[in-house]
Amino acid sequence: MSPEVPPPTRRALLRASAYGLLGAAAGGCGFMPATTPDAQQLAPVTPRVDGDLVYFNWADYVDPSVFKGFEKEYGVKVVQSNFDSMEGMVAKLNAGNRYDVLFPSATWAQRLVRGGRLRRIDHTRLPNAHAIFGTYTYFADPWYDPGSAHTVPFTAYKTGIGWRRDRIGELTGSWRDLWSDKARGKVFLLDDRDEVLGMGALELGLKVSTGNTDDLDRITSLLDTLRPRLRGFSSDSYNNLLNGDAVMTQAWSGDMAAMLNQAKDPSVFGFEAPKEGTPINSDCYAIPWNAPHPGTAMLFIDYMLRPENVKKNIEYIGYPMPVAGTEKTYADLVKPFPECLVTEDDLKAGLFFRNGDRAAEDARDTAWTHVKAG
Amino acid sequence: MALLRPFARTRRRGADGDRVWTWLMLPGTVWMTGFLIASLVLVAVLAVGTTDDLGNPRFGFDLSGVRALADPAYTEVLARSLGYAVLTCAVCLLIAYPVAYTIALYGGRYKHGLIAAIVVPFFANYLVRMYGWSVVLSDDGPVLRALRAVGLADGRTKILNTGVGVVAGLVYGFVVFMIIPLYAALERLDVSLIEAGRDLYGGPVRTFFFVTLPATRQGAAAGLVLVFLPAMGDFVSAQLMGGPDQIMIGNLIQDKFFQGQNWPLGSALTMLLMLVLLIGMFGYLRRTRKDEAEARR
Repeated sequence: MSPEVPPPTRRALLRASAYGLLGAAAGGCGFMPATTPDAQQLAPVTPRVDGDLVYFNWADYVDPSVFKGFEKEYGVKVVQSNFDSMEGMVAKLNAGNRYDVLFPSATWAQRLVRGGRLRRIDHTRLPNAHAIFGTYTYFADPWYDPGSAHTVPFTAYKTGIGWRRDRIGELTGSWRDLWSDKARGKVFLLDDRDEVLGMGALELGLKVSTGNTDDLDRITSLLDTLRPRLRGFSSDSYNNLLNGDAVMTQAWSGDMAAMLNQAKDPSVFGFEAPKEGTPINSDCYAIPWNAPHPGTAMLFIDYMLRPENVKKNIEYIGYPMPVAGTEKTYADLVKPFPECLVTEDDLKAGLFFRNGDRAAEDARDTAWTHVKAG
Repeated sequence: MALLRPFARTRRRGADGDRVWTWLMLPGTVWMTGFLIASLVLVAVLAVGTTDDLGNPRFGFDLSGVRALADPAYTEVLARSLGYAVLTCAVCLLIAYPVAYTIALYGGRYKHGLIAAIVVPFFANYLVRMYGWSVVLSDDGPVLRALRAVGLADGRTKILNTGVGVVAGLVYGFVVFMIIPLYAALERLDVSLIEAGRDLYGGPVRTFFFVTLPATRQGAAAGLVLVFLPAMGDFVSAQLMGGPDQIMIGNLIQDKFFQGQNWPLGSALTMLLMLVLLIGMFGYLRRTRKDEAEARR
């Protein structure tokens, strides 16, 4: 070090770190009102190769051979990144990361649409989209995205009860089964606020995503009677059933279908969609407003909708997809669990978890804390 | 404290040494400022922030997150976490002391190998190891099946989803943080001190409690802090090994940031947890300062 350069004094260091602090805090500008995208960034685009595809989804949610086929056919690379929660996905998006195609759930799709974060998708430019919108008319105008103007449905799934036939025999087809003495101490609920409160609401005949405090009090008291019978809150439903920790668990249909692949003898398991109603959910394709290659994203969505690719993906992930002509593939896959099927009637029953306003969300959050912490 | 000591020494050596130390401090200062202090400031500021309808946190001034802390559910869970963390510390100390003692005093040329054998499994991710345990200890898993086969367990015996399971998970996860400082302290221990104790007619027990233990007190204190801090904030063990009555504060905080989308309340809970941890930390610092003062005398 040359002696001419004076070393920073301790005070200078402190001052510098204060500036660093300010800079870092400004870096948290995801917490400040975001810039609004201009009209051009939201306008629909034509499917054409305009670069490699930057893909952002749950891990293992598309058959790898489908990616290979897409890369080969269009001469582009698929750059994959994964998220582990919807919250994580949106946080990365808000932080300014750029992706070409996203897979939000309906609830999050609605938030992104409302926030002006998604580019519009013109279905007439997707030759294979007819297989969805022509048959599954529900998706022509779903609640989360009027006119499906920004999204294309990907999968649909429901919530029911998975159980061990070999341990406790048959169930009655009601959410009340969770209270069954046969299963006491070996029952799990999903570690998911909406699913648990929603189950309570359906059992009481209330709206599935109610944010009304009186309703929530009733739900909390009902669930208090279930709590001593529970072994835990866990979303790992299929492992819990497979390794015997659970004889009964609240479960997502897709996980139960995936379990069929893992089980030596599927007949020891059962899955029911309770008669009081089953919460339903769907994921969709979406293109963020700042996608670097929206044209390739359009090509990718259309490629994914080709019947042979839909079939591959159904078999790979165990979730049904609302694409005409692929119903039998899924029905064959879940033959032991016919209630995994998601029909147009299931969709129209509308038991989706909806976004509430801030007060409703806070009330649900408080209720969930009480259910979980006792 | 220990970090500042080289400073004091170079001060006397003159301006040149001073410069080197000041410059060397720069990367650390930048790192800590950028990644630790700034993120802590963000958490503190968000504790009084708000959430918009998209679920995004926003800066602002709203005390509802802080006020929500008054809910007895949080106090109860915090107290439970404190209990588990203290219990974990105690069990870790009981397990780690004999292990460190044996290796340090009787390990001979295998010392380093033995320490490596203890440390290496901890290179694997904590979450992965805990997940592995949850499979091994499951009702139809190898452990319970073996116990049932020899008649030591019946169909109702369970290990998972119990308080014992959670504390066992925490102990397993953090015991190495206790072994290492204890080993370091015991390594440095002058064995002639023990011999002197024996020469002065102290039995093995008396010698241990009046010579060995006080001489390694600092190692134990460091180990207790290193185990207590992560155990108190842990959520993995309760998630994988616990049931509905074993939820820890870490689980609630995680819920606020994810399912609840209630970052302000999550941040407020984090600050509350940090406050509790800071109290423990101050206790430790006062203790070590006293010890140092005594040592200097």
